[in-house]
Amino acid sequence: MKKFYILALMLLVSVSALAQNGRSLYNKYSDLPDVEAVYISPAMFRLIGKIPDVEMQDGSVNFGPIIKSLSGLYILNIPESDAAAQLADEVNHFVTKGHYELLMEAKDNGEVMRMYTVGDDKVVNSLVMLSRDGSETSFICLDGTMPREQLEAIIAEATKD
Amino acid sequence: MRKLDEISRLSASDLERISLDEKIPVPEELSGRVQNALHGLSASEEAGAGSVRPGSAGNRFIRRVLPAVGIAAALAVVAAIGLTRDPEPADTFDDPYLAYAQVEAVFAKISGTVAYGAGKIEDTESRIDKISYWK
Repeated sequence: MKKFYILALMLLVSVSALAQNGRSLYNKYSDLPDVEAVYISPAMFRLIGKIPDVEMQDGSVNFGPIIKSLSGLYILNIPESDAAAQLADEVNHFVTKGHYELLMEAKDNGEVMRMYTVGDDKVVNSLVMLSRDGSETSFICLDGTMPREQLEAIIAEATKD
Repeated sequence: MRKLDEISRLSASDLERISLDEKIPVPEELSGRVQNALHGLSASEEAGAGSVRPGSAGNRFIRRVLPAVGIAAALAVVAAIGLTRDPEPADTFDDPYLAYAQVEAVFAKISGTVAYGAGKIEDTESRIDKISYWK
């Protein structure tokens, strides 16, 4: 019975750890006034994956494999306000609690952009981007089982232009 | 044969005397029945003696209640998981082509951010090179 209680406690701890993620933030902020919100579901990603020859406009990068590995896209754009500041705080909190790794940070004239990923050497399970430019706060969260190599290749290819 | 109320009125010495009277026939199965009754009595006494040990009544109660508590805890965990699970939002796009265009825009934004960072690094490197050259 002791084992059961330990298991129950572990479950509760893991439940509380899972309490905040891209979806919960999306559900919390997407209905606020003046908020631009976009959600793409796993079902829609499966449909996108069936589109033949999914390629970027210049045709240099094939999005197909990575799109099939995505399970959710959450985007929130909030004009600068208390809610925007709160969203930024909550994103910082959830990337810290979720053991996300800071991929890059860029600061310029008051504009701050941070990108975080969580996963292992081979797979990225989630990519979060938070940017604040003084007039707007943008939050992007991509969930899935993205092959790290392909994700890096897409970003590298796109940065060549 | 004596009736029960007559037997109950007999004194202990009378009962002893009658029991020693070998003329009175004893049913064959009586000995076994008495032994069985004595065994049952001692067993119930032992069980009764066990129940008066300090804390044992509480232990028995806990043993009885523990499975129910376990089930309640399991249900609470399941309920907690159910309550904390966020409902799936509605898809913003019905058309996969529009959804794809949005995904493309997201990757372009991510790439732009990375490119911006890479550009900053290149700027810094070229400045360092220039400083090194003039030194």
